Amino acid sequence: MNCPNCGTSNLDTASICANCGRPLSAAPPPPPPIPPPQSASYTPTPPPRAPMGGGAPMTPGEKIPNYLIQSIIVTLCCCLPLGIVGLIFGSQVNSKLAQGDVAGAREASKKAKQFLLIGVGIWAVLFVIGLLMNGAVFLEALRDSAANR
Amino acid sequence: MVLSSLKPSATALRIGSAAILVVIGAWVLYTYPPVTSGFYPQCVFKTATGLDCPGCGTTRALHALLHGHVFEAFTLNPFLFAILIGFACAAPSLMRGETPRFVMKPWFGWGSLVVVTGWWIGRNLMT
Repeated sequence: MNCPNCGTSNLDTASICANCGRPLSAAPPPPPPIPPPQSASYTPTPPPRAPMGGGAPMTPGEKIPNYLIQSIIVTLCCCLPLGIVGLIFGSQVNSKLAQGDVAGAREASKKAKQFLLIGVGIWAVLFVIGLLMNGAVFLEALRDSAANR
Repeated sequence: MVLSSLKPSATALRIGSAAILVVIGAWVLYTYPPVTSGFYPQCVFKTATGLDCPGCGTTRALHALLHGHVFEAFTLNPFLFAILIGFACAAPSLMRGETPRFVMKPWFGWGSLVVVTGWWIGRNLMT
C-alpha cells in the first residue's frame, strides 16, 4: 500500500510509513490547506464567484448598480408602474450576481436604468403639462396657502 | 496641495447637502398643509385612474408626522414607516456613498417587489 502522506510504497502489514513515519491505515491525511480568500482589496459588494454563464468576469472595482433604491423612490413618488419594472430588473441584478452571471446582471442593470429614466421623464412631462394647464390655479393656490397658513 | 486640503471631502458634501434638503423639505411640509396647499405635485396615477398608488398619502403623512400625529400618519400611509425604517438602516452606507449591503441581497429586491405590489393592490381593495 502507498503512504497517503508521501506516496512511498509500503508493505500491506506495515502500520507506519517506512519513509516518513506517518500512520498508514488510521486517519486520512490532513486536508490540503484551504486557499486563502481573495485579497481584501478586491471588493465588489457581493462576494465574487466564478462566473457560470458567459460574459466577461467582473473587473476589480466594477460596480453593477441594481437601482433598487431609485426604483422604490420612482414607484412611490412618480406613482408609475415603471417603478415596478425597475424593481423587477433590479432584483434580477442581485439574483444574477448571486449566481455569478455577471453579463446577465449588467444587462438587467442597464434595463432597470432605462425604465427608471423613462418613468422619471414621463412623470416630469405630465407634471409640467399639469402646471401649464392650471398655471393660474397653481399660483392662486400658492398665494392662498401663503396667506392662510 | 493647500487648496485640495481645504476642499471639503465628498462625504462631508453629501451629508451637508442631504441635511440642507431635509431641513428645507421638513420646513415646507411642516408649514404648508398638503390638503389645502396647491403646489405639491399631484399623483399622476391617482389623477389618471382615481386609484391610490403605493405612495399616495405620503405627503400628508409626513405633514402629520412632523406635527407629532403619529397615528394619523400611520392611517394615511403605513408604508411610509417601512420606508423610513429602511432609510434609517441604509443611511450610514449612503452617507459614505456606498450601496448598503442588504440592498444587494436577492431577498431585498424580490421582497420589496412583493411588498410594494401587494400594498398597491391591497390598499385599493381595502377602500
